[in-house]
Amino acid sequence: MLTALRDKFLSDKEGSASRNFFLSALWWSLWAMGAGLFAAAEFAMPDLVHNVPQLSMPHLRMWHVNGVAIGWLSMGYVGAMFHMVPSLCKTKLWSERLGNFTMWAWNIVMVGAFCTLLNGTTEGREYAELSAVLDVLVVIALVSIALNIYMTIVNRKVKKLYVSLWYFLGSLFWFPLVYIIGQRTFVALPGLNDAIVGWFYGHNILGMWFTTVGVGMMYYLLPRLTQAPLYSHGLSMLGFWGIALFYAPTGTHHILQSPAPEWLKAIAVISSIFLLVPVLTVLTNFFMTMRGKWGMVVTDMPLRFAVTSAMFYLVTCVQGPFQATRWVNWYLHFSQWVVGHAHLALLGTFSFILTSAFYYSIPRLTGREWYSQGMIRAHYWLKFLGFLLMMTSLTIAGLVQAAGWAFGMPVDQWSLQIRPYWFFRELSGIMILLGQVIFAYNTFKTLYTPQAIPATSAPSVIKTSEAGA
Amino acid sequence: MSYRAGAIGILCTFMIIIFSTVLMPMVLFNPKPSGRGNDYGVEKVANAARGRQIYVREGCFYCHSQFTRLQDRGYGPLVVAGDYVYEAPHQLGTARTGPDLTNEGGRMSSEWQKAHLINPRAVKPGSIMPSFSFLSDRDMNDLVAYIQTLGNERKTEHFVEAPDEYRTTTDAGRALMNRKTVDTNSSAAANAGRGIFTQNCAVCHGLEGWGNGPNAITLEKKPANFSRPFYKQYPDEFWFYRVSEGVPGTRMPRFGEILSEEQRWYLVAYLKTLPKDKETVIDSISQLNKAEQVKLPKLTDQQYEPHTGGGY
Repeated sequence: MLTALRDKFLSDKEGSASRNFFLSALWWSLWAMGAGLFAAAEFAMPDLVHNVPQLSMPHLRMWHVNGVAIGWLSMGYVGAMFHMVPSLCKTKLWSERLGNFTMWAWNIVMVGAFCTLLNGTTEGREYAELSAVLDVLVVIALVSIALNIYMTIVNRKVKKLYVSLWYFLGSLFWFPLVYIIGQRTFVALPGLNDAIVGWFYGHNILGMWFTTVGVGMMYYLLPRLTQAPLYSHGLSMLGFWGIALFYAPTGTHHILQSPAPEWLKAIAVISSIFLLVPVLTVLTNFFMTMRGKWGMVVTDMPLRFAVTSAMFYLVTCVQGPFQATRWVNWYLHFSQWVVGHAHLALLGTFSFILTSAFYYSIPRLTGREWYSQGMIRAHYWLKFLGFLLMMTSLTIAGLVQAAGWAFGMPVDQWSLQIRPYWFFRELSGIMILLGQVIFAYNTFKTLYTPQAIPATSAPSVIKTSEAGA
Repeated sequence: MSYRAGAIGILCTFMIIIFSTVLMPMVLFNPKPSGRGNDYGVEKVANAARGRQIYVREGCFYCHSQFTRLQDRGYGPLVVAGDYVYEAPHQLGTARTGPDLTNEGGRMSSEWQKAHLINPRAVKPGSIMPSFSFLSDRDMNDLVAYIQTLGNERKTEHFVEAPDEYRTTTDAGRALMNRKTVDTNSSAAANAGRGIFTQNCAVCHGLEGWGNGPNAITLEKKPANFSRPFYKQYPDEFWFYRVSEGVPGTRMPRFGEILSEEQRWYLVAYLKTLPKDKETVIDSISQLNKAEQVKLPKLTDQQYEPHTGGGY
């Protein structure tokens, strides 16, 4: 009885932790993206909802940001790592049970986040809104994930570490530390110091977690999907150390015009510009790997998601360093342009690469083919076009806003001018969420439709060929 | 062995970064309280302290920043590092979907703030601020108390400054002042300005300048009510700039193209007399200035259709 329960909830089956993480991520993405859509609707129609605190814009926004960052992206990332790391090490995950335990812990965090954030229980720190209990749970989950991955790598059957593993190892070491430092749960720092640490965290959840794991996934997926060896191992190492060195100190560029110390701003701006080096190195490596294989994106949907992600990564990382310089920041800061940039990174780049990993991994984890290729295409086009519309509308709205600030117009005058763009953003949100719903439906049908040909006995995790290493 | 070197490399890199961007600022950057920020721990502003928690809980900082920048016109004095010593968690904000609130305290009456929180579009048409009507009375009052303390400790002469070309800091501004012959402080000039106001401004701003002209009802952005005490701090050149260049995004025209410089200075002399210690609130339609119905002459059918081309 107890064993049966244990096997059900803390399954020992190979690949189950990865699969469960992927599915949880997809589940939370619907709720988090839905909240984003609802919040966007309130921008376009501010009188949509009255007297419901749970549905007021700031509460929805808190849940949207935490839901997509901690729920969709992070859980999906863990799922992808739980699949990719054993595959790269030609071994099994160290402990599926621990993996499934982590999955439950993380889901409890998400339930807690849903209930607290929508009710306004927040620590009032952007990107670190979760309350103390949830923070502790996140750290426990992160540490057990790190342990699981590290032990898997220790037990590896291949000698050399592929570059993806470097990225995963680095991220799992940095991110728990960044998280602990960044939460400031049990300390009250004076205002500006609070902001400095806050933006150290706010930027490094991106730089030391979403970027590094995401790039690691790209390094895994592109050679696998194209069946081509990685262009250069040397370049990949240069990119890795470049990101490690230059990403972490950039946080202060978020408060470039506040009275924070000038030397810290200088460090932030300089390392933001230096970031161009690792980014272009990484992308050169990707695009050279793709040589002669570009045509494959026509038929190979996971590859198409991955290549789109790499393209958006190029745009994000060219935009980012220029925005961080003082003269551009002077004009653009505080405007919706920045919101567009944030979506370009998290939705355009990292959500696309995660989706690619999802489409690539699920058949290998469950031995089932995708229920419908047409739905994958629909998902791709809805998400891609929806995102382009969102990016365009936010960027234009941002430019109008920035001009308003630069010319000293009162807020309520330029706010009238950007109303059309709120509606376009709302439309783009509908497209993206619709794509995600199709994605979820396709996944559901894939996993729970009895298939004519029975699934092969064991997932092909170990059998897949080692690419590039 | 190279893995060990790599692992040590990752560790060292990260420690150096944490040291330089987290620990070093903690040690080196300790601004002294400037005396211009509010200390919400002190008993005298107890309500405001609770209001600050409401501000955090309702996530106001997602749309409202709390730091003024050099280029922000009309948002009061610049902040310095010492202003934020008592602010934890910080509410600097990252986006301005709404106005900056650094010096918001005292700008609007508490009744206005409360009405604005309950139904923002009733007092600011076109605003996209969400309604916070779900706040309890106590929460609402405390939140307003907090808003009214913002920037109270930063004393200032002028919130607003005209652009450089209207001030004596530039050649253009000095030339403007040299050409000026009107004594904007004299009642004679104000009297002259009154006539210009009645002819050009009253149709929207009302005869008394309360923003209650007959046109006001048709405008989405309501014309300014000059009886607000806020306008007392407008310097002459700011009035002149507003009159000359209009207000972008509203129907306020660029009177620089209609009135001569001398006429505009007379107008400034009159406008300066309008702000009062207490605002005259226009809150009902009966307070609008009424326009007499225009009596059109009765026309014959032929006069109505003069362009028949003479074909009959």
